Amino acid sequence: MKPEVLKAMRLFILFSLFFLFLTNAFSQTVITGKVTEEKGEPLPGANAYLQGTYDGASSGENGVFKFKTAKSGTQVLKVEFMGYEPFIQNLDLKGDTIRFNIKLKEAFNQLNAVTITAGTFEASDKKQAVTITPIDMVTTAGAAGDVYGALQSLPGTTVNGESGRLFVKGGDSEESQTYIDGSLVSVPYNSSAPNQATRGRFNPFMFKGTIFSTGGYSAEYGQALSSVLLLNTNDMPAEDQLDLSILMVGLEIAGTKLWKNGAVTGTLSYNNLQPYMSLAPQNYDWAKAPESVNGAVSVRQKTSKTGMFKFYSSFDKGGFKLCQQNLDAGGTPIDYQLTNGNQFLNASWNDKLGGKWAVSNAASFTNNADDILFDQTSVAKQIQGAHLKSVFSYPFSEKFILKMGGELFSKKFSQNVKMPNETHNNSFINHTFSGFTEAQIYASTKFVTRIGGRVEYSDYLNRFTLSPRFSAAYKITDKSQFSAAYGWFYQNPVDDYLLYTDLLKPERADHYTFSFQSSVNSRTIRAELYYKDYKDLVKLTGGEFYLPTSYNNSGSGYAKGLDVFWRDKKTIKNGDYWVSYSYLDTKRDYRNFPEEAIPTFASKHNLSVVYKHWFGNLRSMAGANFRYSSPRVYNNPNSPVFNGEKMLAYRSLDLSWSFLYRQHIILYAAATNVLNFKNEFGQRYSNTPDVNGRYPGAAIQPGSNQFYVVGCFITLTRKGNANQLDKIE
Amino acid sequence: MKKIILSFAVVLVSLVSMAQKPEYYQAMGETLGQFGTSKDVADFQALGNKFQMIAAAEKSEWLPLYYHAQCYILMSFMEQDAAKKDSYLDVAEKSITSMLEMVPAESEAFVLQAFYLVGRLVVNPMERGQEYSGLSGQALGKALALDVSNPRAKMLKIQMDMGSAQFTGQDPKSFCPAAKELLANWDNFKPKSPIHPNWGKDQAEGIVKGCE
Repeated sequence: MKPEVLKAMRLFILFSLFFLFLTNAFSQTVITGKVTEEKGEPLPGANAYLQGTYDGASSGENGVFKFKTAKSGTQVLKVEFMGYEPFIQNLDLKGDTIRFNIKLKEAFNQLNAVTITAGTFEASDKKQAVTITPIDMVTTAGAAGDVYGALQSLPGTTVNGESGRLFVKGGDSEESQTYIDGSLVSVPYNSSAPNQATRGRFNPFMFKGTIFSTGGYSAEYGQALSSVLLLNTNDMPAEDQLDLSILMVGLEIAGTKLWKNGAVTGTLSYNNLQPYMSLAPQNYDWAKAPESVNGAVSVRQKTSKTGMFKFYSSFDKGGFKLCQQNLDAGGTPIDYQLTNGNQFLNASWNDKLGGKWAVSNAASFTNNADDILFDQTSVAKQIQGAHLKSVFSYPFSEKFILKMGGELFSKKFSQNVKMPNETHNNSFINHTFSGFTEAQIYASTKFVTRIGGRVEYSDYLNRFTLSPRFSAAYKITDKSQFSAAYGWFYQNPVDDYLLYTDLLKPERADHYTFSFQSSVNSRTIRAELYYKDYKDLVKLTGGEFYLPTSYNNSGSGYAKGLDVFWRDKKTIKNGDYWVSYSYLDTKRDYRNFPEEAIPTFASKHNLSVVYKHWFGNLRSMAGANFRYSSPRVYNNPNSPVFNGEKMLAYRSLDLSWSFLYRQHIILYAAATNVLNFKNEFGQRYSNTPDVNGRYPGAAIQPGSNQFYVVGCFITLTRKGNANQLDKIE
Repeated sequence: MKKIILSFAVVLVSLVSMAQKPEYYQAMGETLGQFGTSKDVADFQALGNKFQMIAAAEKSEWLPLYYHAQCYILMSFMEQDAAKKDSYLDVAEKSITSMLEMVPAESEAFVLQAFYLVGRLVVNPMERGQEYSGLSGQALGKALALDVSNPRAKMLKIQMDMGSAQFTGQDPKSFCPAAKELLANWDNFKPKSPIHPNWGKDQAEGIVKGCE
């Protein structure tokens, strides 16, 4: 470049001689000043210049700038520095020296402003301060590619090995809701047999971002007493590709095709645990191992420069036949057979409207059917759920954003029970209408408050509810902040009760959350104190289950605790670990509880330690995850004390290894509970006593003590250099 | 002969435009001359400031935006702190967006966009690797589609291919012949004017040296 530049400069000098001759005719003005931030600290590197001219200078280390100009008359001085509001002043140039002391005000920018973190774990790679990232969601050992499994390594959750679902801050699993691209997923888990762990229906690789809120969430979300999980699907893929996954338990093939401003992805998978179960020891007898077929289509289309339309549709068909002991018939084996069919549709459209309005619309539809057959009884359950949602937001200024919207949740639940001598058909239809509004107000980059409210009306229960929500965050230093949240949360009673009664009110929980978070140098600490006050929980009066009057809202309870999270990506080279600890104290009096008692799903101490290490020379990522949950309680009908028995503590050390074999081929292996800790989830008992007046019981064991998986992921693209590394580093 | 006429035409065009905006060409030439002596974040910030000033004065020129963004991308490579890296790249992104609106069919603009995306990737390769290598590859693809002879696009592509080869166990040296050919033909590419982008030969030399 240099010879050309010199040549060019010679030319310029020629031209500028003429120019200089002109300008020298005038006298020169010196402009000098000191640029500081609000507290008086000098800002080096600030840009001071006369607008529309070539006269200017940068400030030095002491914040001082100085330049000469041959311009005269009125000129505009502009002083700019990244992250600050520019300083603009008109000057009258007369050939003397003009001095300035300039204080720049920090620019308001929502990206670097304080965010409300009380109760919220956000997984996104856009911000530096996040505690977990989307990749963590899929690379946590032991999660085996299950979204909910990965979330159980975060504080506030309790592992329930016999369920696999999310239990958040002393809440039951039904108290958590899952949303995809803004709309509700009515049936987020696969169907499973009683006391058998389930998994989420969705492939975690579909999602680019996750917000897991364990309490105190925005007025935008209702119908959840404990937590909401917001999953956002990937935007436009980069290129056409074909992905092939081969695991011991199944196969998946996915193809992506791009067009102008749009793309389609089709996925087909088949899973069958039979070959695996015949190799690895199982604690249960399976007459037919779980088997499922899944197909999905997803379409993304840019509708304008700012608009995006997403559509996702999936169908699932699966089933199994499990052999269990019938404790009511002297332990004779009976088969429990389940067939599940699930169709799910989800669409969303986000865009900016005229002016500053932004809109996001979402809709989902679920049709889920379970057909269960055991001991000459057949049960057919069907859920048809729809959710429509529109949210409008308007920024009056960067510091004041108003959001409002409306929602409709529609649900039809029907159950058909056939026994040799009788048949029961029950069903209900409920529509919940809701509206919400919320204002987010920044007093400065350091202080933000969010105030909102939500109304809901259920036509089946004929009840209105009003939920105020309030949260705030204050930045103490650049790297640390306090955050608090308060709100009332309502949720309709569970389907199994609504099937028989419409005399109930929605259940209620009030959340109080206070949290502290500090991130310095890729190390993050977070501590959160919370209190939850449960009201209007459903109680059974002891009457016949099919009578509407056998249910009321006299239940109540509380949960309080401390959640601690520590993450460190810095100390160990190529290593990254986090530690989650939760202390939980909860009791409730609900359902069939005779008195206030600790519920079965709650454990006092929960610990999760996750470690990941990248071995560059082996092109491998290794992961380990240790989990501990202190003993939970369970009820023994033979004992006079309700929920008086304690099960074993839960312990598991899970390992995983991924190896980048070729540019487009990844080999993967994982094992759970490698130290073979004994895990048991209490006992189940017969419904009726035996001849001696005792209720016989049997231990609830996990499906198997350990689980192994070996797989291979292949990605084919035109260029041939993409891989599924983001899947399982 | 054709070549001579062509280069004559280029010189003529640039002379005419220079004659129209002597102050602009002078300021650009002087500021570009300081690239060689800039060494640290503060130097490049001061240099970026000058390009920002020129961009503000010349609202229809894309080159001041180009060099302004380039300064901030280089700053992000020199910075250690991840949050600061991203904040420099935020500045670069703004200029790149304005530039691409101004010249949506300029090969060099997409090369710089690709370079910027590599900057984003480097902040956190573990998390951003997949997404940003794809985006950067797309930008380079556009740059080459607009001008298949652009040596900077070719150079970045070789650099990226070598980088990912290291990662996946391929032999990075398999790209050496392409790098050598690129360097040998580097000077055949003539920038449209003395102030048009003309960087990258040093890096190409570096790649070839690494091959030996």
